[in-house]
Amino acid sequence: MKASEDALRAFMVAAQSGDKAAYTALLTESGRWLARFFARKISPDAVDDLVQDTLMSVHRKLASYDPQRPYLPWLAAIARYRWVDRLRQSYKHEARTLDFDVETEGHEDVVAAKISIDRLLNQLPEKQASAIRLMKIEGHSVTETSARTGQSASSVKVNIHRGLKKLSALIESE
Amino acid sequence: MPQNDSDIAALVGELHPVRPVNTGVMLAVSGVIMCTAMIAIVALAGARADLVAGAPDPMLLIRTGILALLGFGTAYSVLAMAKPSVGRSHNGWKTAIAAAMIFPVGGIIAAATGDNAYATAPVTAGMECLFYSLAGGSAAAVPMVMALRKGAPTSPLRAGWLVGVAAGGLGALAYNFHCPFDSLTYTGLYYTVVVGICAAAGRLIVPRLIRW
Repeated sequence: MKASEDALRAFMVAAQSGDKAAYTALLTESGRWLARFFARKISPDAVDDLVQDTLMSVHRKLASYDPQRPYLPWLAAIARYRWVDRLRQSYKHEARTLDFDVETEGHEDVVAAKISIDRLLNQLPEKQASAIRLMKIEGHSVTETSARTGQSASSVKVNIHRGLKKLSALIESE
Repeated sequence: MPQNDSDIAALVGELHPVRPVNTGVMLAVSGVIMCTAMIAIVALAGARADLVAGAPDPMLLIRTGILALLGFGTAYSVLAMAKPSVGRSHNGWKTAIAAAMIFPVGGIIAAATGDNAYATAPVTAGMECLFYSLAGGSAAAVPMVMALRKGAPTSPLRAGWLVGVAAGGLGALAYNFHCPFDSLTYTGLYYTVVVGICAAAGRLIVPRLIRW
């Protein structure tokens, strides 16, 4: 069962006061939420690491949560920041199709859609978004990305660089 | 991984109560530092004659209002960046900077139409303006950087620029009560240089201090 926004917010407020039981519940539910949030937005073998990084950031940045505001948009901002940071890293992995099965039901409501990574990517020009999707998310090479998008290899690199820079500036936008 | 029970337990074991970033207090601290800088500048260099006489020149009033808007408005946006949230806007700084553009734009127009006071003002006066404003601005930036370090700014580069703009605005505001010049050209030149230097310094220095 998924915890509601109100429940997560209550857990977070209690965690800021030092309530360890509430913090356990918060991290557990946040970890599940993040796994769904990152699904299909990064290579499958990187999802667990990214969830881990994000939970560590949540832990280090507890003081940045404003108890007067909803919890999930705060968590989404932390998650998007970590996601963009991960995309920036020049990692290489084998290209693979994203045919893994992750539960996403219930993740398509209005609030979730507004804070999703898709929403963030959709704010980029198509050339930048497609280059990032193919190379940084799906793990294709520059040559493959170039062939699929019709962009030259240098254009792919430029579009990824510009796209990531723009994503950094758009992290809190809906 | 933390999402495993043992790793979550490890993080929970490190939990200690935290006080959420209080942006209102940090804004007030920046204001107090600006006021302290203003008092120090007036004590060291003296207050404007019209201010002492109780009949402030309209330029002083306009400049004070616009610099206060630039300094505090941008500082408010900066501090809001310490508490991220998707869908939250931090765009007040755009209005503040747009309003402050009256000085450089007005200064250029005034210079083009014959007001060349900046050319006749002693260079030492301009250097004094830069020195006091930059010193006051640097002090006013400290609480902003502290808040950003405790918080989680998602755009460190922009935060760096804006810390500089806010600090420059507050430093110039503090110096403004001593500055004897009412020329729009002088204001457009030296006050813009102060804010520009602070913004560039903020861009260069602050991001590395607040990245997480």
